[in-house]
Amino acid sequence: MDKETVATISYLSRLAFDKQNEEKITRDLENIIKFVDQLDSIDTSDIEPLKSPLEKTAKTREDKISAQNRKEQFLKNAPDANDDYFLVPRVVE
Amino acid sequence: MSIQFKTIKELSSMLQSKEVSNYELLQETFKLVKSYKHLNAFITLNEENALKKARNLDNNTSDLSLSGIPIAQKDLFVTKGLRTTCGSNMLSNFIPPYSATVIENLENAGCISIGKTNMDEFAMGSSNETSFYGNVNNPWGENLVPGGSSGGSAAVVAAGIVPAATGTDTGGSIRQPASLCGITGIKPTYGRISRWGMIAFASSLDQAGPMARTAEDCAILMNEMCSHDNKDTTSLDETIPDFTKDLDAPVKGLKIGIVKEFDLSKLDSNVVKVFEDSKKHYESLGVDFVEVSLPNINLSVPTYYVVAPAECSSNLSRFDGVKFGKRCDDPKDLEDLYIRSRSEGFGEEVKRRILIGSYVLSAGFYDAYYKKAQQVRRLIKNDFDNAFKHVDLIMSPTTRGTAFEAGSMSDPIQMYLEDLFTVPANLAGLPGISIPSGYLDSKPLGIQLIGNSLQESQLLNVAHNFQMTSDWHLRTPPTRSK
Repeated sequence: MDKETVATISYLSRLAFDKQNEEKITRDLENIIKFVDQLDSIDTSDIEPLKSPLEKTAKTREDKISAQNRKEQFLKNAPDANDDYFLVPRVVE
Repeated sequence: MSIQFKTIKELSSMLQSKEVSNYELLQETFKLVKSYKHLNAFITLNEENALKKARNLDNNTSDLSLSGIPIAQKDLFVTKGLRTTCGSNMLSNFIPPYSATVIENLENAGCISIGKTNMDEFAMGSSNETSFYGNVNNPWGENLVPGGSSGGSAAVVAAGIVPAATGTDTGGSIRQPASLCGITGIKPTYGRISRWGMIAFASSLDQAGPMARTAEDCAILMNEMCSHDNKDTTSLDETIPDFTKDLDAPVKGLKIGIVKEFDLSKLDSNVVKVFEDSKKHYESLGVDFVEVSLPNINLSVPTYYVVAPAECSSNLSRFDGVKFGKRCDDPKDLEDLYIRSRSEGFGEEVKRRILIGSYVLSAGFYDAYYKKAQQVRRLIKNDFDNAFKHVDLIMSPTTRGTAFEAGSMSDPIQMYLEDLFTVPANLAGLPGISIPSGYLDSKPLGIQLIGNSLQESQLLNVAHNFQMTSDWHLRTPPTRSK
């Protein structure tokens, strides 16, 4: 786990670290990855991955609107909003 | 009249006989909450609403099964109109516009939610030390952790403030704190209880469950918490039995498996003695123990620490500072808004897990880590399937030891190994229960029973038989309060 990899995955995660924390997190990640590398000890070549303990296809339901429009309630929790939209800093100059 | 340490069954009968009114019960409950403030077990209280509900119940009697029973809700379940933080600074101002199905089920059965319990941030931790709202203290001793992530829920039940609390369990978060706090907690089969309104950590592992003083109370709660929910596509459409019906059935002739690969010689000899004593106790009830082999079970923790962070990094991408939750001050552009909101809103452990998740899911590493872990997960599940051809249940210690001191475990991997015995059930989606089974230096310790898929009734029956013939679950921590 080098600094460059940590920088890449930090960016993919949209997280930033200062110098001091970056060193600690690099060390921690290195140890954790070393720990999970134990998985290499067994051969899994023909094994179907298990994604969920319920190996059933998700049930579909009728395409009928059941929820009411609760725009106002949802916008109330937004850090910044007007009557209709979530607001963010300008993205187009 | 004291209501402290009473079970649901006892409180229901006190309410029915009018030994106590609904309002008095809630008043007494909030008095206890205040006298145990030093536990730091609650993040948000629901006092005004709860007292109002109790007053209404006094005026309009109800025959609901849990009528008037005070309950504490883990702060991971969204509660309409009541702040829900998930132990994180990210959600310090979040007032949900709806309630989780579990909360609705319990409240529709008459329960009164008294508040939201402290927990590890986004349920990521085994000691409740990752909460933004501070550590929770274990009522059994000064500076002891209650376990985690449902640490606040475990502490309020152990202190006898409420008879029951809700918890969630992704890798042991109900069973491990139940063990460290001397209470009973069950994680049902994956899909038994709706995940709608549970703030997601690792969606293929997360499962809600009850925490209470007895297996009998857990059964009473399971009857109300379980439901088939159209709003959760992983909710099981299976018959929900009356979990209280077979509690008393004899356990004679039952076969319980002991996992050959769990090397107990690495544990403190006193911990092993408590476990051996529990085995002897079950033997005296007519249970037979046989050794079973689960060859891949020791890869459970490394498997979990790929699968859970991968799912966490995906689930927690929703916290972007736009739609709800924390936003940083004066973002200079959208990218800055995302990065600073997340970096300021999440704590260290959550960030660590998001990074591991991003790493194991990233191009070039996906097959080596994520796919590999899912393949090992299949092998672990197959191991359980094979074992259950020979035994009815599997028994192990719940934890490696008793509650440890806050601040004493700084290595993340050591902390991850706290879940050594509990993680396998989550990977395989199986039900597991922890019940108090002994004490070391006046600190409680539990045993874990794992059942086959959908066999919660059997788990509860076997746990109830233990509790009918022992008194570990009746012990209470010192009632000294600050």
